Amino acid sequence: MEQDDAKLLSAYRKGDSEALGVLVEKYKRPLFGFILRFSERREDADEVFQEVWVRAIKNMSRYRQKNLLSWLFRIAHNLMIDRVRRRKFILSLDTPVSEDGVPLGEQIADAGLGPDGATDGRELGLRIEAAASRLPLEQREVFWLRMQADLSFKEIAKIQKCSINTALARMQYAVSKLRKDLAGEYRELKETGI
Amino acid sequence: MKMKKIEKWLLLEASGELSPRQLRRLERELAVSEDARILRGDLGRFRGSVLRQEFEPSPWAAAKIAARLREEHHPARTVTRGLKPALALAACLALVAGILIFHEKQVSSASVAVLAAAGSDVWNDSLEEDMSRLESQIMAISGDSLDTIEM
Repeated sequence: MEQDDAKLLSAYRKGDSEALGVLVEKYKRPLFGFILRFSERREDADEVFQEVWVRAIKNMSRYRQKNLLSWLFRIAHNLMIDRVRRRKFILSLDTPVSEDGVPLGEQIADAGLGPDGATDGRELGLRIEAAASRLPLEQREVFWLRMQADLSFKEIAKIQKCSINTALARMQYAVSKLRKDLAGEYRELKETGI
Repeated sequence: MKMKKIEKWLLLEASGELSPRQLRRLERELAVSEDARILRGDLGRFRGSVLRQEFEPSPWAAAKIAARLREEHHPARTVTRGLKPALALAACLALVAGILIFHEKQVSSASVAVLAAAGSDVWNDSLEEDMSRLESQIMAISGDSLDTIEM
């Protein structure tokens, strides 16, 4: 665990409620982004996000890992696996994920190519999002844990309870499928020099 | 080196999990393989584009987490939670006691019925004796059998 995180957790345990706010703020984007990608609705993602933190804080005395974010992802992974098993947590392109209630599928379709036919990084990001949502669960999870949360394959393997080679193979399958799906966009990106 | 292995090493390179020796070998491969260089470029673009997608939880998430943690550490609730098994046990005992009392009442009612039946047997026996005695007396008076008298 990073020194700052350890200090903040210790401060929270001693009654400094601000310390928890700082920690939540620090990790909210990668953690919430990850949870949201596996959630049916934004409210579900909010609920899981809170549950992850509550469980993390409650079990902090048992925690011995170095990386707090990795541990938070591990808790999130377990919670989401439970939900997937109960068939309540399946990502759908028809499901609203934005605050204005626009389904992810529509956001992606609306993004499209610009009027001059050129794509930019944001559009590619939305297309990656759409293509990644069609990946099998394990591959999708490895992809986002690596690409967004910036976790190492060693940490991902620990979260998924598999070997590093399995985690790597899942990532290779994911990348291979995405490259195939996004071949057109890549060509345009290369032509525009992005 | 096969393309699959190069791909694996490129992924490990991006996550900082390649040894210096492996890194040197990968650089040599990249120098001679155009496919490997294209793949490295694609992986870089994936990463660059993905990082632009930022989502945030509701602004009051931290406050809600703190509130939930406070609530779960509330002493009154902890005591209630601690008493839950005892309360459940008491409820179970009450239920068992209720069943036993009810069963006992049923048994008592059955006993009364049995006694009543036994009582009727007693009554029947005494009546039988009375009837026999009466029959003997009638026979003694008449000097004839009861059957003949009845006829």
